[in-house]
Amino acid sequence: MQEHGQAIVFLFTLAIFALVMGLVLKRKITERFAVLWMAISFLLLLTSSLGFRYIFKIAEVFGIPYPPSALFLIVIFGLTLLVIELFVWISRLNERSRILAQQVALLWDRLEKSNAQRTDLP
Amino acid sequence: MMSRQNNPKMEAVANAPAATARNDQPRVLIIVPAFNEARSLPALLRALHSQCPGCDVVVIDDGSTDGTREALAGQARVVSLACNLGIGGAVQTGLKIALLENYDIAMQVDGDGQHPAHEVSKLLAALHEMQCDLVVGSRFRNAGGFKSTLARRIAIHLFSASLSRICGTRITDATSGFRAMNRRAIELLARRYSEDYPEVEALVVAHRAGLRIGEVAVQMSERTAGKSSIGSIKSVIYMIKVPLAIFMTLLRRSEARL
Repeated sequence: MQEHGQAIVFLFTLAIFALVMGLVLKRKITERFAVLWMAISFLLLLTSSLGFRYIFKIAEVFGIPYPPSALFLIVIFGLTLLVIELFVWISRLNERSRILAQQVALLWDRLEKSNAQRTDLP
Repeated sequence: MMSRQNNPKMEAVANAPAATARNDQPRVLIIVPAFNEARSLPALLRALHSQCPGCDVVVIDDGSTDGTREALAGQARVVSLACNLGIGGAVQTGLKIALLENYDIAMQVDGDGQHPAHEVSKLLAALHEMQCDLVVGSRFRNAGGFKSTLARRIAIHLFSASLSRICGTRITDATSGFRAMNRRAIELLARRYSEDYPEVEALVVAHRAGLRIGEVAVQMSERTAGKSSIGSIKSVIYMIKVPLAIFMTLLRRSEARL
């Protein structure tokens, strides 16, 4: 049973890895995030090969009666961190796009002004 | 990260024209942020031109879709943002213009017609007489004029009370967007201006940077056309965001001073 579980996680990890690499190839994801996802797949791989027997120990230590719940807890925690990281990234992009929009507006204004001056000339 | 806004490229892009002859009169830029206010703007602009001679006016068209830009052709300088940035982004654009073109004073007058042009001179005078860096026009200091709805008044009084404590001066209308800023305030707020619901936060930022804040009584009118940008769900967000922003600004000791 445990081997089955490990095999599924292994295949799942390979699928994620392949997907991420495909996205990098198609330039739909930047290397920065690719590295992040590679780290995630590596962690998953590690859990699938070594971690399974530790899950029971972790569950015992934290007093979780149903060991798979400990796994879910860890995964949810990790995903939450990931989402927060994405929010940081979104905020940064938001900040940059605001500065860009303002810069474009100011440039446009200057361009119009200089064009107007040019047509004023005799 | 915020400090990156003050990049050197900006200075290179639009250096000061300073074409007008400089005399003793301070150069004033009236910033009119506007989002879909094509119906109320022409009247406001006419009033500003007649009531505030010698002041330059710039309308920041915050990605309007009602043809604001076309409607104002020839009537005022219009700087159009490519997309809607919200009131904070629009006002900050105006402040950046004031900064780059070396204006001594920047005024914010909202494009919805709530801020009457005849009160502009009152704020400008107060900036000079009270020796303040930032003067807010308050609708609650005297009787008369439009005072907003009850729920909003409660919120405004709450913010004003806490802000009065923080800043150590009596502030009665912390959310008022009708304000005048001198060069020091322009330099600070052109760099650091919140994107949404920025008015209250800007006062805390200014205070933390050691700027003097003052307030004068003004009359406001009900908006002449269009609708307020703050609906019912947004006002709930407002009530959470603004105190949070104030709190965070107070926590940021290190970057508070210029």
